[in-house]
Amino acid sequence: MKRILYIFSILVIPQFIVYMIITRTDNQCIVDTELPAEIEVVNYTKKADQKNILVADHSKFEILQQEFERPQDVTLACLSCHTERHHELMANNHWTWDRTEKLAGRDSVVTLGKRNMINNFCIGINGSEKTCVRCHIGYGWEDKSFDFSKKENIDCLVCHDQSGMYIKAKGAAGYPVEGLNLNIISQSVGSPKRENCGICHYWGGGGNNVKHGDLDKAMNSCSKDVDIHMAIDGEDMSCVACHTTENHVIKGKAYAFSSENKNRATCTHCHTDAPHNDKILNQHGDRIACQTCHIPEYAKANSTKMVWDWSTAGRLNEDGSQIHEADADGNHNYLSIKGTFVYDDHVKPDYIWFNGTADHVLLTDSITEIPVQINTLMGSYNDKGDNCESTTCSKIWPVKIHRGKQPWDPILKRIVQPKLWSPNKGDSAYWVDFDWNNSIVAGMRYSDLPYSGEYDFVETEMYWPLNHQVASADKSLQCVDCHTTDNDGRLAKLEGFYLPGRDHYDFIEYIGILLVLLAVAGVVIHGGIRIVLRKNCLHDKK
Amino acid sequence: MKVYIYKGFERFWHWTQVTLIVMLALTGFEIHGFYELFGYREAVMIHDRTAWAFLALIVFAIFWHFTTGEWKQYIPTLNLVKEQIGYYVTGIFTGAEHPTNKLVYNKFNPLQRLIYLGLKMLVIPVMVISGFAYMYLNYPNDTFVLGNLGPVAAIHTMGAFFLIVFIIAHVYLTTTGHKPLSSIQAMITGWEEMSELEAKEMVKSEMEYSLKVAKHHLITDKDRSAFLDEALQETEEKLGVKNRLHDVLSGSGAGYFRLDTNGDYIEVNKAWANLYKYETVEEIIGKNFSLSRSEKSFAQLKGNFDQVLSGETIEHGLVIRKCQDGSIGYHTLTMTPFMKDNKIIGVQGVIINIDRDNASKLQWDNE
Ligand code: HEM
Repeated sequence: MKRILYIFSILVIPQFIVYMIITRTDNQCIVDTELPAEIEVVNYTKKADQKNILVADHSKFEILQQEFERPQDVTLACLSCHTERHHELMANNHWTWDRTEKLAGRDSVVTLGKRNMINNFCIGINGSEKTCVRCHIGYGWEDKSFDFSKKENIDCLVCHDQSGMYIKAKGAAGYPVEGLNLNIISQSVGSPKRENCGICHYWGGGGNNVKHGDLDKAMNSCSKDVDIHMAIDGEDMSCVACHTTENHVIKGKAYAFSSENKNRATCTHCHTDAPHNDKILNQHGDRIACQTCHIPEYAKANSTKMVWDWSTAGRLNEDGSQIHEADADGNHNYLSIKGTFVYDDHVKPDYIWFNGTADHVLLTDSITEIPVQINTLMGSYNDKGDNCESTTCSKIWPVKIHRGKQPWDPILKRIVQPKLWSPNKGDSAYWVDFDWNNSIVAGMRYSDLPYSGEYDFVETEMYWPLNHQVASADKSLQCVDCHTTDNDGRLAKLEGFYLPGRDHYDFIEYIGILLVLLAVAGVVIHGGIRIVLRKNCLHDKK
Repeated sequence: MKVYIYKGFERFWHWTQVTLIVMLALTGFEIHGFYELFGYREAVMIHDRTAWAFLALIVFAIFWHFTTGEWKQYIPTLNLVKEQIGYYVTGIFTGAEHPTNKLVYNKFNPLQRLIYLGLKMLVIPVMVISGFAYMYLNYPNDTFVLGNLGPVAAIHTMGAFFLIVFIIAHVYLTTTGHKPLSSIQAMITGWEEMSELEAKEMVKSEMEYSLKVAKHHLITDKDRSAFLDEALQETEEKLGVKNRLHDVLSGSGAGYFRLDTNGDYIEVNKAWANLYKYETVEEIIGKNFSLSRSEKSFAQLKGNFDQVLSGETIEHGLVIRKCQDGSIGYHTLTMTPFMKDNKIIGVQGVIINIDRDNASKLQWDNE
């Protein structure tokens, strides 16, 4: 009996203790779906602790109590108190529509922005400014002659209106629609709300959520299922809560134009670089952007455009009127002026290595690769931050890839800039005249660029890093979403590095399994013979 | 016949190692993507914690092995490896004897020695090193950047497969003991079922060891018989065969003697006198050692005596003595030089009596 107790205490009890220790479930590591843990943040005051003190009541200012004749008069009224603010704005790329940056992978520093660049949506603004600049924070940019130094042309209201009444007109060079009550509007001003930012940033590319896929008008008032930060039943954060702004310089980069890794709005600004209670998850942050796990899908409320094929544009009804076709969800899939589209919702992102720097195809570049990479997000597994312009290492990022087919010059091997918009027929604008050649001739001449006279359509790709529509922790990716041998694992296509649980070396697998099988076979054969010859077996001498 | 083979610590160590390696293997291959068992996250957590526990156990065990001298069990020897392999390939089927035996101071047969040594020196450190490299060097940090996890994972996975193969073979080989489950039982209770012959072999080696210890102490220390007793007692405790060892030793104890350079007895102890059937110790002092042998075997003894005088140590597995009454006895004999001021001034020795019946079975010789 004593011996059994002794054996029990040296063999069974330690095993039990060891087992309990190694399989202990840390309750910190488990996402409790019932009671979300209080998330620790820095640099941010939680909604419950925020005090909303009205700093100034603009309706009491005399200068705003006038019937404004022109919107520019409102701007001048603003600047009469907020003196010198126009310098900040006129240096801001919301005004300049360009920025001087070094393109990744090239030596040259270029001045690049909406003003002169191309994408695979509406291609570019040149020749069509009057309608495109509806999203410019200015008045009167009709063509290249616009005077960027005239402070009265700054449009303060599009960002600061809080009445919801301020609307910019279509095709009106950035002017608001006629007949607005600028008096009431100007008295309503305040810090920009989501609606102010969203009116341009949701609607880029000619429709809601068309471009980004993670910026949707639904986010003006959404649930946690769409965006955990902006949910009205949650923190209800505005855009500028993260895109913090000082002297009108707004944090955040859109890699449709940006090239350098600077002035970005980041998760770590509030969440720190060790936001999890789990060391291994925090380590993941060294090579994986927060967005990768926490934005498991985008276009969660409304569809986003995935494909835009310009080559089919121009088909008209017999009476010459334009065709509008929509898919089952009500999204356009064909428009005479633009061609064929594919929309999708609840899209799983693609994943790439990204270090925060980017290159862009310029109208002057000759194309060497098809599909043309409209923008190239730089990075690789091997880029650990010391061999590129970026000081941080490349991380895995979720992106939306927008695929296009758009006009190019197959002789000069350049993307071309067609003139798209005009209020009048016969002005070479494609959207009015439906003649590609004329529109390209007009657009290229306007841009001072050569054109061979021949055009065709070329496949293009454009990359949009995802940052919004962050999911709640319990809906974020789990280990096996990536650490899996499944071909539909999230990172199944991201090659060039060893990912545990996904990758195997075939030869080790074969050798290993073979050895195990041989061992088993050896045991079976050897043991079998022993059993058969039992009578002779083992110390058995009667 | 049951013999005590594995000490408490060894058994604790062994089974804890089993738990840890099984958990490491189960979680490791889940991480590898072979199946789903604990859930990936749990598996990683368990694997990492178990790895730490494993490391702790290894450190602990190394410490134990060195403080107890048990590490010698793993000293590889190529002696008998061929025979051992031959045994597993053919002998086992025909009921041949094990070519080697589980002995307290030779717990592992030569094949096991090689395999365990390989396991301990290769697989486990490789697993530990590659494992901790996997754990800590997978992401860039300030001090050291691993180019790619691939090679580390490859080594780690290959090692894991080898371990599985080892476990299969190891578990199977445990069934080749006296009875299929006797080895496993031994690892649980410490006592192993053995054949009579194996047990005697063990006792023999045990005695050889105790003689070595006794001799060592006799050379270096003053209180000789106390050390001899201690060594024997220790041996018995380790063996757990207290009474059986005494049976074999016929209860007569170990005799001690010292001779001068002429071969005359200077000193003998009581046990010696008893073995030679003298009434008192004084009877023998001053007599020549020639009287302890028959004429025929004296020549050999004389040769050995001269060798010891020239500085050698002689160990005889089995010798025949001539007692005072003319009867014959068997004993083991160890002779070492007796030194004073760095000069050999005589020969001293220890004899351990062997029961006549036993002696005929124990084919004892010097090698
Ligand atoms: C102290 C010893 C060990 C350490 C430090 C260690 C550590 C690790 C680590 C860090 C991983 C990567 C997954 C993770 O983060 O948990 C891993 C994977 C793995 N481990 Fe271990 N391990 C050890 C021992 C073992 C043993 C004894 C086995 C098997 C018998 C094993 C089998 C595996 C396997 C199969 C994988 C998956 C490898 C892959 O697919 O890339 N490990 N180990």
